[in-house]
Amino acid sequence: MSQEALHAGDVRKVYRSRGGPAIEALRGVSLALRRGERVSLLGRNGAGKTTFLRIASTLLIPTSGTIRVFDFDVVGEPEKVRPLIAVVPQEGKPFFHLTPREQVYCYLRARGIPREAAKARTEESLTKMGLEEVADRLSVTLSGGQKQRAMVATVMATEAPLLFLDEPTIGLDPFARRAVWDVLRDLTRKGSTVLLTTHYLDEAEALSERLYIVEEGRVLFEGRAEDAKRQIGGTLRVSIENGGPHRDLFESFGQTVAEGTSLNVITGPERIHEIMDLAFRNRLSATVGPVTLEEAFLTIVGRSIDEE
Amino acid sequence: MAFGLRWAGSGVFLATEIRVQLHEWLAIVTGTLTPGALLIFVAILAPDLLPVTLVGGLVYSMFLIGQRVLNEAAYIRIDHKLNELYHASPLSPEGYFVGIAGGMLVAYLPPSLVLLVILEWLHPLSLVAALALVGCLLAVWAVSSAIGYVVSTLFKDMKTIWPYSALLTNLFGILPPVFYPLRLVPMEWRALVLVVPTSAAAALVNAAAGLETLTRGETILAAGALALEAFVLFIFGIYWARRMARER
Repeated sequence: MSQEALHAGDVRKVYRSRGGPAIEALRGVSLALRRGERVSLLGRNGAGKTTFLRIASTLLIPTSGTIRVFDFDVVGEPEKVRPLIAVVPQEGKPFFHLTPREQVYCYLRARGIPREAAKARTEESLTKMGLEEVADRLSVTLSGGQKQRAMVATVMATEAPLLFLDEPTIGLDPFARRAVWDVLRDLTRKGSTVLLTTHYLDEAEALSERLYIVEEGRVLFEGRAEDAKRQIGGTLRVSIENGGPHRDLFESFGQTVAEGTSLNVITGPERIHEIMDLAFRNRLSATVGPVTLEEAFLTIVGRSIDEE
Repeated sequence: MAFGLRWAGSGVFLATEIRVQLHEWLAIVTGTLTPGALLIFVAILAPDLLPVTLVGGLVYSMFLIGQRVLNEAAYIRIDHKLNELYHASPLSPEGYFVGIAGGMLVAYLPPSLVLLVILEWLHPLSLVAALALVGCLLAVWAVSSAIGYVVSTLFKDMKTIWPYSALLTNLFGILPPVFYPLRLVPMEWRALVLVVPTSAAAALVNAAAGLETLTRGETILAAGALALEAFVLFIFGIYWARRMARER
């Protein structure tokens, strides 16, 4: 068996609708996941993350290109791929008229997991996702976050070799998000591979061993979060309030990125004093901090991740 | 694996669907309201037609089960995205379709049994009539489930689907002679109504129970049409489920 859990080559997807323009959702995406890796697809809404995930999980047929999951072709051999994967769909909800315990257990049984193992995994998964207290309440009575956790618990409990999670922590509070991260780390320790889409930069940074930044159907960056930050030419960010109109003054110090009303200058420690001095002489307030993945994203993509 | 069909997990998914429906027991009970209301009218206005109305009520209830397949399949696809959870799993698309259809059948069958008990009390059925009833009801379920499932996949919004569900129910359950006897239909229309699955089923059961008279040709037409429609539509439902498991 291949050491790669997933290999995608030049995947393209064009959505055609009657009367409407063709939409090119993926424009030649190539990527690979090694076994046991946690990888994020990071991108703005509409970047093509979900389309890729749906193709990789056999739910959508690509216009061209190939994706192989554990060496099986997702287009030609979906019945061989499906036992090896599990998916948390974007905005997926559990059966409202099942309890989380029933939801997880029934799903495991439908996947062919024996009764006793299904029971044990159900309890373990519900506990890890902090759902013990509501495990026997109908999902319709749960909060949005609890429903989302029930969905994640359902898929986590499968312990499938390759897990696809489309925005799995949307609507979760910070504690629940961290619980999901812990479970994902635990699963990869046990040998599962995880591909998740997110537009939470902190999540991508905290959770992924590697990330792919996707924009308009193309991969613009592949590597670790640290590499992304390093790629933008500095380790520090000077944020100059209302600095936009003075951009030309600061361009010689490094990369400048507008963010709201601020102008961020990405630079090294050796130039900080000069920039601060220049800012104060122009009566501009400035703060210094480490470069974040957000700056890296802004620089690589040219737009903020929240920009529509 | 005849014809490449895979059924692993479909029994569990069927049981899941039954469990989901049983948590909504009020919906199951209210399923009997339409035939129940009609029975009251008929009992008051034309009590001699009660057995025919009861047979119609059973056929109509069975057709309604298929319409519940429509609503359930659309709901879990559009609102919950659970189709993606199941399609990206070892459960086959045909198992998914049959699981929903079978789950609805089992969950919504008990209220129909009430109608059957009343029918048996008012007009005891012979063995042949009982067998005809079971066969025809299963055929109506197969037709209605397949129509329901296919229609459920054609829309992206629940609100758009509701009128179609109501339209289908009225088109197949109320308009043709399901609740009223075939003899009230003009001769020139009889051949047409006998190829409509619901009225064909009602006519066949009524004839087997001695409540209606069908010529040999009419019997063959109704039975042939119903059997063919059930077989072809159910196979098409399976084909469609496999096709819909992967968007293009």
